Amino acid sequence: MWLQLNINFSFSSLLKESMHKLPLSVVGLALMASFTTVNAEVEQHDLGPRIEIPESSGNSCVLPEDEMRRRHPDLLKHDRILTLREGIREKTDGHNLDGSLKQCINCHAIKDDNNNYVRIDNDRHFCVSCHKYAAVTIDCFQCHRDIPEGSSNFHALSGHKNTDFTSITPGSYGLTVQDMANIAPEVSSDDK
Amino acid sequence: MKKLHFLEVEGNSRGFYTLLGVFGLISLIGMFAAYYMEHHGHYVTGMSNQVVWGTPHVFAIFLIVAASGALNVASISSVFAKTAYKPLARLSGMLAIALLAGGLVVLLLDLGRPDRLIVAMTKFNFLSIFTWNIFLYTGFMGIVAVYLWTMMDRPYNKLTKKAGMGAFIWRLVLTTGTGSIFGFLIAREAYDTALLAPMFVIMSFAFGLAFFMLVLMASYKYTDRPLGDYIINRLKNLLGVFVAAVLYFVIVYHITNLYSADHQGVSAFILADGGIYTFLFWVVQIGLGSLLPLLLLYGPTGKNRTMIGLASALIIIGGLAQLYIIIIGGQAYPMVMFPGMEVSSSFYDGVVASYSPSLPEVLLGVGGVGVTLLLVTVSVAALKFLPASLADEVADPHAK
Amino acid sequence: MTSKIEKEDLSRRNFIFGSIAAAGLTVAPGVMLYQTANARDLSKAASSKVRWGMLIDTSRDVDWNKCVEACVKEHGLGNEEHSRPDQRTQYIRVVEVKNKSTGYSMSLPVMCQHCEQPPCVDVCPTGASMKREDGIVLVDRHRCIGCRYCMMACPYKARSFVHETLTDQSTTTPRGKGCVESCNMCVNRVDNGQLPACVEASEGAIVFGNLNDPESDISKLLAKHGGKQIRADLKLNPGVQYQGI
Repeated sequence: MWLQLNINFSFSSLLKESMHKLPLSVVGLALMASFTTVNAEVEQHDLGPRIEIPESSGNSCVLPEDEMRRRHPDLLKHDRILTLREGIREKTDGHNLDGSLKQCINCHAIKDDNNNYVRIDNDRHFCVSCHKYAAVTIDCFQCHRDIPEGSSNFHALSGHKNTDFTSITPGSYGLTVQDMANIAPEVSSDDK
Repeated sequence: MKKLHFLEVEGNSRGFYTLLGVFGLISLIGMFAAYYMEHHGHYVTGMSNQVVWGTPHVFAIFLIVAASGALNVASISSVFAKTAYKPLARLSGMLAIALLAGGLVVLLLDLGRPDRLIVAMTKFNFLSIFTWNIFLYTGFMGIVAVYLWTMMDRPYNKLTKKAGMGAFIWRLVLTTGTGSIFGFLIAREAYDTALLAPMFVIMSFAFGLAFFMLVLMASYKYTDRPLGDYIINRLKNLLGVFVAAVLYFVIVYHITNLYSADHQGVSAFILADGGIYTFLFWVVQIGLGSLLPLLLLYGPTGKNRTMIGLASALIIIGGLAQLYIIIIGGQAYPMVMFPGMEVSSSFYDGVVASYSPSLPEVLLGVGGVGVTLLLVTVSVAALKFLPASLADEVADPHAK
Repeated sequence: MTSKIEKEDLSRRNFIFGSIAAAGLTVAPGVMLYQTANARDLSKAASSKVRWGMLIDTSRDVDWNKCVEACVKEHGLGNEEHSRPDQRTQYIRVVEVKNKSTGYSMSLPVMCQHCEQPPCVDVCPTGASMKREDGIVLVDRHRCIGCRYCMMACPYKARSFVHETLTDQSTTTPRGKGCVESCNMCVNRVDNGQLPACVEASEGAIVFGNLNDPESDISKLLAKHGGKQIRADLKLNPGVQYQGI
């Protein structure tokens, strides 16, 4: 529901700002756009796939959920530099760094019906579930382990014949226009 | 001397579209080969942990080296004020950019992570010769583009000499940089010499001019424009000098190596017991790529256009062979970790590394040549690069 | 600061290592469990006051292949499916060296030598190939573009290129297609106060420690017996040194 509210919010604020700045025609376009959105809102249940964020096993994440949605790439990028290049692996209180991908996976790993962890080639993998929806390709798991260490299907000396990470490319998700309508307002409201 | 008149090649013709289609297809196949290599990983290539740079690098470095050499004709006209070369200066500059673009495409697409081009363009280690080259290559494109503009925009003609001088100095630094990619590698016997930098400069003269002559003769033949003997004779004489100069550097390189016990091994390997590399050296590089072209250019066939074209093609083939020997032969020869000792390991220490080029690698390399020719084809149709006539009465400054 | 591992068999003094204070417990011959007493403060950056190094005694009658096995296990290597043997990753290998004229032969393990002046770091265009403050040479795979120039430059052939898509990596050693990799001196273990895997498997023939600390065992051994570097003529000052070559 918050997703739909968000659409309205960003469009109406845009409308207010633009009223006294833009030529009439542009305002008219914006008005039309806002009507379309209202219509889309009514038919939200028809708008294609919805994200189902899987539950995690940990107690609480390093940041509140909405902040994690926005800032997790920055955390990961920031802390990977600290850890790899400088050798800083912990916070001063001895806890893991916020951007520890290992810790992300430990809490957020998802199991399938047979109680095995799902891998990165599976739509139910925590990272994939959102990233596929948002059509944002990540290459973390070309190198990083996609399930917790020592988990049941870890066998270092043999590989998985059918796992093909390269198939995870933009364009292969079959995103619809509606998907983009769902995603775009959220994306634009995040940027500084 | 008649007035010089530049004219676009007719773009709306069957011949033009045929060329566009052929070169486009070659480029496309190259891109597809690159995609295949990236998708599967480099295990589908002949490259390994011993021979880490393969056929794509042979083509890429050939094209990059030839790029700076192709600019020579323009430099002779602008910097050394030889009016005879002035009609060819525009083509020379454009070809330089096209060759460099083709080479860089190949180099880029062979990376393990070509998707990280943005990293290469934002994170620099200024100690790395590769980093220097990133700036040298992009700078070359820019400076030659400016140079072309001063030549083609009449009010700015007075700046041509300055821009030409800048481009000339830049291209010398560029090829020095390319040669230094290898010259600074202290670890490997084949490379550890500053001689590679000037050798690459002179190689660029020869390869670039050979490529230039082929493009020149082909485009004039294809468009039925007159191309007189005067200009061709001057160019082919120059080409012969460059080929001889490359030969000189090759001799010095090997004699220096053979004289010091430290470097004897690699020259003995290439000259005598290197198998395919020895064959490529004597038969292709020296025989077909150097001596035969000299004979064709300076012998009784010196006036024959077909033979001049053949000589140019042979020089290019010889050049590819030479780079194959330098790049791949230099890696195949075992690195000496324990001088005087016989070594062996599971990591192929002490043995000549095997390498056989795979099809995708070759297609990617040829694709780079395709990109170059595609760019040339589009350019000569889009802008006034080629004089409408290079008949002797136009081209020869002394003609009446 | 130096401290010693408590253990019964004091004659195996090579197990004692430098500035990491650790308590070891022998559970079976050749198998040691280490418990960190006070490893480096991991909330602070690695410091150049430390320079990690190894001293490898090639005269010891040790099966060096055990070191290779330990390395493969630690880093989850060997999971290539398509690569040819000459394309597969090896962080550490056993090199047989034979003098043709005298017939003398020996074998020694060779891995990244963790040079003080690493050519791989100099030539890397993006700075992916890097030396950490404490002397450990690493590849930052977040930056590596796979140009392989470092492999051309390394005098020890210490580096490998990942030729195919990998799965099932070890959590502590992320590695994947299109990047170059090499021995990282088990940086994750070292940071946690453990010995590198090959050192642990070497039955004391490899001593690990802080070269900058004159009181460390490796420094004392080097002071007493000296150490040799492979290709010392290149003046790269490797952190991995040898005895008996």
